[in-house]
Amino acid sequence: MTTTQRLVRGPGFGALIGVAAMLTAFTLIDSAGWWSVRTIANVVQFTSILGFLAMGQALVILSKEIDLSVGSVYGLTGVAFVTLQPDLGVPGAMLAALSIALACGLIQGLVVVRGGLPSMIVTLGGLFAFRGIIYVWTGGSVRNFPEEARVHSLTRLMGGELFGIEAAVFWMLGTLAVLTLVLNATRFGNRLLATGGNAESALSRGVRTDRVRVSVFALSALLAGCAGILTLADRPQTHVTIGELMELESIAAAVIGGCLLAGGRGSLWGAVLGAFIITGFRYELIALGAPSSWFITFVGLVLIFAVVVNQKLARMAGQSV
Amino acid sequence: MALAAIKPIVRRHAEIGIVLIAVLLVVVFALSSEGRWANAYNIGTILQVTATLGLMTLGVALVIASGEIDISVGSTFGIGALVYLWLALRVDPALAALAALTAGGLIGAVNGWLVTRTGTPSLIVTLGTLMIFRGIAIALTSGFAFSIPYKDRTGISYRLLGGGEILGLNTSVIWLVLMLVVLGAMLRLMPWGNRLLAVGGSSDSALSRGVRVDRVKFSAFVFCGTLAALGGVLEAGKLGSADGSMGRLMELQAIAACVLGGCLLAGGRISLIGALTGAFVLSSIQSYLVVMSVRPQWFMVLLGLIVVAAALGDRSLRQWALRR
Amino acid sequence: MTQKPPLISVRNLNLYFGAFHALRDVSVDFHAGEMVGLVGDNGAGKTTLIRVLCGIHAPSSGEVYFDGRKVDTFHPKNAIDQGIETIQQSVGLCDNLSIARNFYLGREPVRRILGIPLLDFARMREMSTRVIRQFGLRDNVSADDDVERLSGGERQSIKIGRAVEFKNRVVIMDEPTNHLSVREREHVNELARQLRDQGLLVIYITHDIFQVHRLADRIVIMENGQKIEDTTTDRMSAEDLEAVIRHGGRVVEKAEA
Repeated sequence: MTTTQRLVRGPGFGALIGVAAMLTAFTLIDSAGWWSVRTIANVVQFTSILGFLAMGQALVILSKEIDLSVGSVYGLTGVAFVTLQPDLGVPGAMLAALSIALACGLIQGLVVVRGGLPSMIVTLGGLFAFRGIIYVWTGGSVRNFPEEARVHSLTRLMGGELFGIEAAVFWMLGTLAVLTLVLNATRFGNRLLATGGNAESALSRGVRTDRVRVSVFALSALLAGCAGILTLADRPQTHVTIGELMELESIAAAVIGGCLLAGGRGSLWGAVLGAFIITGFRYELIALGAPSSWFITFVGLVLIFAVVVNQKLARMAGQSV
Repeated sequence: MALAAIKPIVRRHAEIGIVLIAVLLVVVFALSSEGRWANAYNIGTILQVTATLGLMTLGVALVIASGEIDISVGSTFGIGALVYLWLALRVDPALAALAALTAGGLIGAVNGWLVTRTGTPSLIVTLGTLMIFRGIAIALTSGFAFSIPYKDRTGISYRLLGGGEILGLNTSVIWLVLMLVVLGAMLRLMPWGNRLLAVGGSSDSALSRGVRVDRVKFSAFVFCGTLAALGGVLEAGKLGSADGSMGRLMELQAIAACVLGGCLLAGGRISLIGALTGAFVLSSIQSYLVVMSVRPQWFMVLLGLIVVAAALGDRSLRQWALRR
Repeated sequence: MTQKPPLISVRNLNLYFGAFHALRDVSVDFHAGEMVGLVGDNGAGKTTLIRVLCGIHAPSSGEVYFDGRKVDTFHPKNAIDQGIETIQQSVGLCDNLSIARNFYLGREPVRRILGIPLLDFARMREMSTRVIRQFGLRDNVSADDDVERLSGGERQSIKIGRAVEFKNRVVIMDEPTNHLSVREREHVNELARQLRDQGLLVIYITHDIFQVHRLADRIVIMENGQKIEDTTTDRMSAEDLEAVIRHGGRVVEKAEA
């Protein structure tokens, strides 16, 4: 197989076509509005943040599980980062917030593995519980960073800009590169794919599938946490609904990116492209003056369309899904 | 020894765990709230909430029994309520309700069609329709008012559709009981019930026995959509108005109620009574938090923990019952 | 054979699945350098017994000794680390991975680049390509192809090739010749013999007593979760053993009475 064939048959190709179609459409409809520095900068920044969640979700889906809690974990980490800052300082709060995210993921992973429960139920519980903690913790109030925390070097590192581009973009691209390498060229990646493809076979080859799955949930929560930190470092203001519905957007992004819910197949760069498509449409719908609620409808439509098309593509490539 | 005698009962009745929890909670809540929880008015409210959530739960239980899942019901509930309110101002509420149920049935049909025709996992399809119809509901309510003036909240059909009371109970409770009896009979006495469980337990085996798996699943989705819309109609009738967020997060409560009630997410096992008891437990806890002036935010935390604890408890109870 | 201590020794093994008593007080020894045929009808407990040996199930009671040491934790990883390789009927290959990746699943070779352990694709490809050619897979099959493309016989060949390539002490074959052509079947049986001659313990599971009688040194018959016969092939003929299976062990009981 040539590289081109590999790309066409591989997961993520559908997302590539989607991006091309989207860019063409936007250029035709609203060339001046879309290709402005402001729009592109915003779209790229939010793509990076949703991209973190989408990569985590892609890893979870690759291991044939699902994580509905990422939106809440994202919000909780962000809220923890801002709320703990007065006591712990910026580095301490960041560390504590990420530990909270990691703990969320580890707990859910352990309950899934030890309790033998479907991840959908466990992470559904997580979605509620972590969102509830946000409500109880903040009491519904809005919190801000004080001035000295805003200018802290770590805050700037996460939320600042480099060459006029938001730092989040670089963090996301770096993470994408590392995770792609981990997934495709390390033992852990091979075992993750095997666990998602056929857990029984993986187990029979001595793969500790339980550990793989717990690590995947931990990783997903950690990535959601990173996204939360990046968001809040840029705009340090918490509100209780932060991250709501992002679990759905992340699933949509991963599915658009070619992740099959049957497990074992998908790509991380595809998931990031999926996040780009979703964010791009969000901005363009707003720019065109559509009420913001149509965005939700749109994500739903794209999700169904993408999953059907990706299945068709996978079947054409001769995979049994 | 007494425990050993219970085992066969637990094995046969999936709902035993949740019924025990419900009894325990009722006792604890009644004793610890100094009459604030266990009074006629509050119980009536709980039953009304249970009824609308319960109708949705019954539908979700059917879909879960067929081995699929429907998380779009929260939006279907909202659409049902909006369609009903919009039409009830213009035509007789009974006709409006019929239209709302049709809308719900159509949403269910779209779900069912996509799932059975394209072989797409129902989680994704219904996630998609959840978002599609939520967006539509919000868009509709931002342009139009969906509220019935107080003077128009009369008439026999309006009162029968959640807007009135009979013997001190909201009429929605009667609809719930009616649906429970009808669906219970269908599951027990009709070939459809047998096939539904067969499809959920092992769709390959069901297919090999000539069961039209696709049709059975499709019908479960249609029922589910219709029931969710009925819940929305009754809730709208009770409140007399609705906004775009009506029914939000209810899909999660309905799934939680099903799991609490002993429905197996993998399919093939259903207990309508159990699922309803699950809905009752959830609304009781919510009401308890309110009357005890606990911050309602805790309900979300509790709901999350309860979902997981219930699933774990259900699993270990069954494992214990299956042991020799 | 009795002078050497057994390589695997199973003592009074019981296993329950819920209320189902899958293994009933099974005791059996296996020695290095012998081929044992494990025979019985469907549901007799043969597969369950070997699933304990390869670490998938933990017994409810009883002990398993490997090389004289008691086995405390049952996990496929431990079994594989001890050199127990299992070729199972339906599991062992992940459809979504390439042949090379499947070949080394669980013990992937790594090459350190800047201290980061990355998969050694060159080695993985080389070894699996050699096995593919050795087993006569179609010429257009490459080590980078997904296992999904392979036929049942080709999959079986990969599994067996994998068992042969790694230095093992025990090879357990669960119905290895199902779905194979006559030529492939002969090849598999020949390989089993070679492994035994190299001093490995080979446990060969089948329901075809006539086939395994020609191959094995010893036959263990299971029925209903129990061991009902354990004899060397030179002591009982295939026909006698078939009668034992057909009567579900009752003949033996009568003879002892």
